[in-house]
Amino acid sequence: MAELSLTGTTKVFKDGGDEIVAVDNIDLDIEDGEFVVLVGPSGCGKSTTLRMIAGLDKPTSGTISIGGEAIQDRSPQERDIAMVFQSYALYPHMTVRGNMAFGLEESTDMTDAEIDETVTDAAETLGIANLLDRKPGALSGGQQQRVALGRAIVRNPEVFLLDEPLSNLDAKLRAQMRTELQQLQDDLGVTTIYVTHDQTEAMTMGDRIAILDGGRLQQLGTPMECYHEPANVFVAGFLGEPAMNFFDATVDGATLVSEEFTYALPDEIAAKTTDGAEVVLGIRPESIDITDDPDSSEGIPATIDVVEPHGDENAVHLRLGDQSEPTLTAMIDGMRYLASGQSVRVHFPTDSVHLFDAESGEAIHNRQLTNVDRVQEIGTAQSAD
Amino acid sequence: MSKPTQTRAENVARMLPELNYWRIALALVITFFFAFFIAPIWTGLVTSFKTGAAVTATTPFVPPGPGGFTLEKWGRAIDHLSTGFINSLIMTVPSTVVTVFLGSTAAYGLTLVDWGKRAQFAVLVLFLVGIFIPYQAVLVPLSDFWINIFPLVEVLAPVWELEFMEPAHARLLSLTITHVVYGIPLCMLLFRGYYLTLSDELVEAAKIDGASITTIYRRIILPLSKPMIGVVFIYQFTAIWNEFLFSLTLIGSSSSPAATVTLVLSGLGTDLSGIDFGLRMAGALFAALPTLIIYALFAEQFAKGLAADN
Repeated sequence: MAELSLTGTTKVFKDGGDEIVAVDNIDLDIEDGEFVVLVGPSGCGKSTTLRMIAGLDKPTSGTISIGGEAIQDRSPQERDIAMVFQSYALYPHMTVRGNMAFGLEESTDMTDAEIDETVTDAAETLGIANLLDRKPGALSGGQQQRVALGRAIVRNPEVFLLDEPLSNLDAKLRAQMRTELQQLQDDLGVTTIYVTHDQTEAMTMGDRIAILDGGRLQQLGTPMECYHEPANVFVAGFLGEPAMNFFDATVDGATLVSEEFTYALPDEIAAKTTDGAEVVLGIRPESIDITDDPDSSEGIPATIDVVEPHGDENAVHLRLGDQSEPTLTAMIDGMRYLASGQSVRVHFPTDSVHLFDAESGEAIHNRQLTNVDRVQEIGTAQSAD
Repeated sequence: MSKPTQTRAENVARMLPELNYWRIALALVITFFFAFFIAPIWTGLVTSFKTGAAVTATTPFVPPGPGGFTLEKWGRAIDHLSTGFINSLIMTVPSTVVTVFLGSTAAYGLTLVDWGKRAQFAVLVLFLVGIFIPYQAVLVPLSDFWINIFPLVEVLAPVWELEFMEPAHARLLSLTITHVVYGIPLCMLLFRGYYLTLSDELVEAAKIDGASITTIYRRIILPLSKPMIGVVFIYQFTAIWNEFLFSLTLIGSSSSPAATVTLVLSGLGTDLSGIDFGLRMAGALFAALPTLIIYALFAEQFAKGLAADN
């Protein structure tokens, strides 16, 4: 167990004459025993970052250190790490026991009896003790996944690397394994880096999440921070399902003018903007108020296009004004009935709007949380896990 | 107003076994090819048990009658060929094993080991060129090499003092090494195709587990290569066992103590009095035995290997 840090880590791939920057100058400090999720869309550099930590790819520049020791020039064999691959990469000709023992045989001086004991212990922890003499081909996807985890935990490494380990499981098993993995990491207390493209996994599993895009680190923070106080438009749009609604607008004094509507900014937000600036207004679907009172004159007139029931809540897709395509998504209570084609008015509460600079995408203003204490409490509780 | 739901013809058709025209055609084609391939072998087999008189008196594929049957041809064939047979085994088995091993390690180094894509490609091109060098083009330089540049007879001089060893055996060793060198490129290519289908993550997982390049080969890649080893072993064994041109060039004469079975077979059963068909057939079948045995032993792996390769 040890802290892990990346300093100015960069990876450039050469493809013929072209240079592709896969990871661009990433700084990341991960504390001992922390569970950090690297999340981002395909090609954001998250897997390359993980492979550099594992030693499978060599960084073009920058350093990587585990427990204060620079390891970027060491081969994977000389780093005290264990990795779970997306395909599991189990050795097909070996039994489960052979798979789990392989790493210990190759990287430690343990006797056969010690190895056997360690493997059996780990298998019992994961509930796969009855599968030890089977070959991977005879196991289900979930069982193979556990063996891959087992192969990693028997090594008792300083750092655990997980590359989309749950993506080959069905939805129900994935949710179950998510909890189990968190529990396991908590018990073992091993510094863990988890790569995923799934923002739900990132939000629910990480002590902290690092959001990457285009090879750059966009934001590093607790899930709650990243969700409620996104550093930029990308993070705001990436986290949350359905995604945050965005509208291009121009600041005109204390008013935002967009194609579809004008929006009066309260003084404290207006103070952060300059007159005439191009901005992006962001609002999360669950923050939007919808009024179906025909007499109301507040808010923006809209027409309901489609209502998707999710059970506990409904996703409502709306057309603003006389638009032909829906541009706004709102979440409403599952018990509330709104019909397709109905005319309503939508209102964006001023304490839940986000404002971003249109050019740089940087956040100008993030929502004001009414119960900040509660959110911080959840945040710290997760970090302490 | 109910009508019979089936006509008479339909009822008859239902009683016949289910015959599908495709299946009938397939059966006919298979029968034809079976006959096509088995006929010469069968003819050879029955001829090898006939006396000289029976060969001329009976139709080739008809088994000999009680008076025309003899085991004498087989006795003579085995007698004549046994030294060549043993020489061939001494040459073929080690050269096949070594070729398969070197071919697979070369393929491993060119596919699953990371040491620069360009360099790997350059080496691969060399191997590919090796496949296309015709035998005839190297015969003269080859014999020149083994006689003048690297004369094994002189290099290994003390060895010929030992019992059963004769200087001529140096030629058998040259032949063995030549077959290894000539066999590596194609074996490498066969293994390469197979290794490209193996997942890179398997090797990466082993690296992270702390295994060195040689350990990964020995404990992961080699055990996974079994099906391909079957294919390459059969192919290489058959090619080397049946090879004639290099044997003729490097050993020269069928009367040499180092002569291989193919060399001896070429002169078997021919003399001034004519061709002894029975003896030639017995010799040919005897000489073909090892390849048949190898096919039988590796048949399962051969089939698996072909399936895996496609």
